[in-house]
Amino acid sequence: MALDRLLNVARKEFSDQITSRRFIIILALFLAISAIGIHTGIENYNTLLDSYNQQLQYMQDSEAPYAGWMPEKPSIMLVFSAMMSYMVSLGSVLAIATGFDLVSREKETRSLKTLLSHPVYRDEIINGKALGGIAALGFAMVLALAISFAMLLIFSIVPTVEESLAILVFGAVSLLFLLGYFAVALTMSTVAPESGSALIYTLVIFVLVSSLIPILGMAIGNVFVGDPPQPPQSTPMVVRSDGGGGYFTSTSSQSVVHVGADDPAWQQYEEDRKRYVQRQALVYDISYILSPQMNYAVVSMAVTNPRVAPMISSPYTYDYTQVSTAETPGLADALAQVWKNLAALIVFPSVFFAAAYVKFMRMDIR
Amino acid sequence: MIKTENLTKVYNGKPAVDGLNLEVGTGEIFGFLGPNGAGKSTTILMLTGMIEPTAGRCFVDGIEVANDPLAVKRIIGYLPEDVGFYGNLTGEQNLDYFARFYDMNAADRKERIAELLRLVHLDGVTQKAGEYSRGMKQRLGLAQALINDPKVLFLDEPTANLDPEGVREYRDLVTRLAGEGKTVFVSSHILSEVRAVCRTVGLLAAGRLVAQGTIDEVARTLASPGGETFRIVVETAEDLPDLSDPDIIEFERDGNRAIIQAKSDIRERLAAAIAEEGLHIREIRLEEPDIEDAFMALYRG
Repeated sequence: MALDRLLNVARKEFSDQITSRRFIIILALFLAISAIGIHTGIENYNTLLDSYNQQLQYMQDSEAPYAGWMPEKPSIMLVFSAMMSYMVSLGSVLAIATGFDLVSREKETRSLKTLLSHPVYRDEIINGKALGGIAALGFAMVLALAISFAMLLIFSIVPTVEESLAILVFGAVSLLFLLGYFAVALTMSTVAPESGSALIYTLVIFVLVSSLIPILGMAIGNVFVGDPPQPPQSTPMVVRSDGGGGYFTSTSSQSVVHVGADDPAWQQYEEDRKRYVQRQALVYDISYILSPQMNYAVVSMAVTNPRVAPMISSPYTYDYTQVSTAETPGLADALAQVWKNLAALIVFPSVFFAAAYVKFMRMDIR
Repeated sequence: MIKTENLTKVYNGKPAVDGLNLEVGTGEIFGFLGPNGAGKSTTILMLTGMIEPTAGRCFVDGIEVANDPLAVKRIIGYLPEDVGFYGNLTGEQNLDYFARFYDMNAADRKERIAELLRLVHLDGVTQKAGEYSRGMKQRLGLAQALINDPKVLFLDEPTANLDPEGVREYRDLVTRLAGEGKTVFVSSHILSEVRAVCRTVGLLAAGRLVAQGTIDEVARTLASPGGETFRIVVETAEDLPDLSDPDIIEFERDGNRAIIQAKSDIRERLAAAIAEEGLHIREIRLEEPDIEDAFMALYRG
């Protein structure tokens, strides 16, 4: 019976959401822009595929043994990279619009008191509301994925089983990201006396976690770790064309290799530099982990482009000399490499759902 | 049917309801009177299981509300003050949503909702509840309170938004429901409204029950704060002599007319004493205190 009551609340909330003008308008925009993004992604994919086919043709036609990098077939998942940015902007708006007045509207219209006079527990109401909102966002995500699948098929691109699985995982990760802001909006809707305030509080948190905390994290990180160690002045610097040995940096114009790996001053400098980067990375990671945008970007990049997963999971400590030699990890390995961000994507909405639950249970309904 | 034992609710250190002891019998129409802020709505919220008491207990049909609020909610109906609905749904859809919380199948729900909408004259209304007038919302509120055919009905300021015709229909309905054996608990600050339908009343002031009983009993209690007294008016054809009776508290005489304050209704004994004196009685009656004045005095202060 308890499940019946919860589902009764959830069904009504879901129905209210998908029939509300606000949700429909934002969803339509979201789907339209996603479709445009997918279309752009498909064009890019086709260009890369053409280039790949040309390289294969060149290899076949070449009489001399091929000495360059082996060409790699582009992944369909590149198409979904384009969806990420729309998910972050319009998806967040959709999630906030779904949750910011779920409870506050009931307080304003006094329907909450009427509802509570019937045999239903408070936790069933708040859980039902959350479930209804999640279902509505899930519905939006299913529509977006269905449209993207349809577009792939229209352009004669048939995903493999692995790619289909990756697309579903991308959808699940995107939904997880949307749940973060939905949970924030739901909490604010429970805390605020009316919907206007709930929306403002939600937007403040949105700006805080999406922009302010990462920026502040970088600033604090720089202050915390101090000035970077300076390289020794005595050692000569020589430009080399090969990539072997020594400390490697790169600019857009040339590669510079500091020859002097045996020099104790350089060894000390490299040690100091490594510690400095690790300390800086730690502070950055802590601030980034609080931002759903950052976590979503990292996890979805790992899903859509597993090759870069280790790079984006530890951008400050990754050994970039391995890029060309490392094997592309599978989807599970790629996700394992970004587990902290994935965990943060799960923890963030959980914390806010818990806050909404506690506040709703203690709410004064006079 | 309804019973409270030292029921107390404290908000921010201030008692909204303070040690309330109340009893309402089955089939009674009980008026819960008191000025705004007296604690009436808070009491109802505790009785309907929507908030928990800080101390004390309350029972509805023998069920302790705090122990099993859901069991209580299944047998009660509640019309809140300034009742609210889902503005995006029609009256019928609102009722259907609430009806789904009870063990009612689709056919039962449909039949019950149609019956209730007819009862409150909202059948055939297709507009959304958000477009309802306040009176229409109040009538829909009454329908939602009756959705589960409750044993006990709690009505908080039920006539606040009704027009005179609506008020008359509400009174008829409440009387009919009581006739069916339902207990009706009407909370109001309007004395005339409570007087029109209620057989017994409880009077709440500053969270405390000041008096309980019939309207007249409560009025007498209010008129004599030191304990219930009776005010008897006597008029004779001749001048009145001094009259003595152990229950007489005060005797005010003006020629052939006297106003007597007594501990009990001693009209028969007074009549006998006057007759023994050989006087002719023109009038001997119990003067009811002015109930409106008594309530107004309480409201003021």
